[in-house]
Amino acid sequence: MKLNICHLYPDLLNLYGDQGNIICMKKRLEWRHIDVTVTLCGAGDPLNAGDYDLFFIGGGQDFEQEVLLDDLKGAKAQAVKSAIEDGKTMLAICGGYQMLGHYYKTWDGKQMDYLGALDLYTEGHPERMIGNYVYTFADDPSVKVVGFENHSGKTYLGSGVSPMGTMLKGYGNNGEDGTEGARYKNVFATYSHGALLPKNPKVCDLILKTALEYKYGHAELSPLDDAAETAAHDAMLGRLL
Amino acid sequence: MSFIHKSDKLTCMRLRTFIALVTCRMIRRILHLFGRGGTNLPGTVALRIDKNLLKTLAEGVTAIAVTGTNGKTTTSHMIEQILIDAGYDVFTNRAGANLISGITATYVENATLGGRPIKSAAVIECDEAAFGAVSEAISPKVIVATNVFRDQLDRYGEVTHTLGKIRAGIANSPKATLCINADDSLITTLADNAEAEVVYYGVNVPIYKKRVHEISDAPYCVRCHGIYRYDYVTFGHLGGFYCPNCGYKRHEPDVFVTETVAMGSENTDVRMVIAGREYPVRINLPGGYNIYNACAAAAAGTAFGVEAETIVHALGHFTGGFGRMEKFTVDGTEMRMILIKNPTACNQVLNFLSNIEEPVAFSIVLNDRDADSTDISWIWDVDFEQIAKMGDHLKALYLSGTRAEEMAMRLKYADVPVGKMKIIKDDVKLIEACAESSYPVYLMPTYTAMIDLRRMLTKRYGLKAFWH
Repeated sequence: MKLNICHLYPDLLNLYGDQGNIICMKKRLEWRHIDVTVTLCGAGDPLNAGDYDLFFIGGGQDFEQEVLLDDLKGAKAQAVKSAIEDGKTMLAICGGYQMLGHYYKTWDGKQMDYLGALDLYTEGHPERMIGNYVYTFADDPSVKVVGFENHSGKTYLGSGVSPMGTMLKGYGNNGEDGTEGARYKNVFATYSHGALLPKNPKVCDLILKTALEYKYGHAELSPLDDAAETAAHDAMLGRLL
Repeated sequence: MSFIHKSDKLTCMRLRTFIALVTCRMIRRILHLFGRGGTNLPGTVALRIDKNLLKTLAEGVTAIAVTGTNGKTTTSHMIEQILIDAGYDVFTNRAGANLISGITATYVENATLGGRPIKSAAVIECDEAAFGAVSEAISPKVIVATNVFRDQLDRYGEVTHTLGKIRAGIANSPKATLCINADDSLITTLADNAEAEVVYYGVNVPIYKKRVHEISDAPYCVRCHGIYRYDYVTFGHLGGFYCPNCGYKRHEPDVFVTETVAMGSENTDVRMVIAGREYPVRINLPGGYNIYNACAAAAAGTAFGVEAETIVHALGHFTGGFGRMEKFTVDGTEMRMILIKNPTACNQVLNFLSNIEEPVAFSIVLNDRDADSTDISWIWDVDFEQIAKMGDHLKALYLSGTRAEEMAMRLKYADVPVGKMKIIKDDVKLIEACAESSYPVYLMPTYTAMIDLRRMLTKRYGLKAFWH
């Protein structure tokens, strides 16, 4: 078996240790003797979505977002949207998550149109929502996802998507409705960086399994020794709850 | 009538300053009595009593202010030595006191009760976010802006935001000579609005033979969003940059390094051009990033009017700051303490450590308190994979701090053998384990971890006695 991972905009969206998510997916495949390639697709690079099984898009800075929006005006936007509709697996974090929605409206009323691949929108807020947080994973309610959020945008989900989790501690999508992140087909989107996957190995494995099953019809992941991961996860969970 | 009125007002102002001064000193003494230094309380209370206190005390003091993400403390130490060697009576603030409250307390300690300065010159390192207010109050003669890197994103926000804070500080002291890093594409934009003289410093050649893998914090042109090209990179986004799209490029530096001659584990030898003449310079600290700090200090020295020969001499014998490669011995084991605080600074430490060719042990103490960065995701942007590549050179790795478990996990994903790692959360036991090592130990704490360790080492091992 083999997974081809595409890291979208690693040059622009790499702010919050997102590299950790790539390292984590790569290692957890390699430890199971599953081949893996990671291809970087930055601004200006063409995207042939058919070459990849799993897409990752991280968070970024406002300054770099402008470069990104220019690039997304081209064919790349359509390629990403089609891949999502086709059921390709994708993990989107923070800025990358917001980018998949309809638009971002700054708190002083300026609107930037985004991809519109997911039925959600984001509104800027003068106060940032920052801190360690925890939510219940919608795909497996026995899993509590710990992470770090840092966003000023409040995201509101439309009827076309469901949340990725329910908040236990922290702000989540908007600090109001108790939702966190978004799920649509095989897209996993969340505000959680920090990095998300290493200390939430069950989330990582579910994402890998989703991508492998899409490609091969059926996939089983052999268990790994997650003592270090569990210790990191539980240490933060114990602090929050 | 009007004369008396004016005089009353003056007396009233002086009284306010006097009360603020005395209160600041008293609170400080009391805190010291209870063994609690390094808090912001004395300065905060003093400023509450007299909001112009710092401005009043700064009159008659010629200051050099040092700001920027990395290198503030070491650069300040170098400049302090330069000024001392040039015959100035100089005072400086400690790294932990680089907000307006701490800087105010520093000025209070160096003033008479009448509010007159005891010393004529000051070297003040200043937090980027606090720089605007500090710059306005102390009106420095020289401002040094070292660099802008990603740092404590939970606190500072984006790099361009940090840059804006420094820019505002410069605008508040329009007459100050500006010393800026020519190799930092973000920092050099500070010259745009500078009204006074600008001194550029830089490194004209690559520093490392082998470098860690790291992310550039500024891959896109700050002016036009084009992609930079580089003639060479020293580290991070520093180097000979140019934008093929709009033509923005590295400014020719006035103070610069033309060659790195030798990079040892105790010091670094370079050739540096100061005031148009090339000198062999020994920098009395190892680590490639200290070459930049030396250039910054040399630029500040020339801007202050110090002779090049004096600068060169000072760089050869200054002593490093708090947690900047501090060397000490515990039960016969040699230890060095190196502060780690953000991806770039940590990567530069690894650039140095992974080139060591003798057996060593490491200890990483990762805290996530407010002064460290509550967001520790930066550890995933550090090329810890270099540690695994050290192979048998690395004998042991002790992990501690509030986020020790996460650090251990990070290293596991960096291919560091789990068997080499040990989590010891108690500072005393940690140092005992390190002291049992028959190899030199490099301690890498984050800020609050360093403060805690140092306090414990001082108390338990009488550290000052054998502190270099």
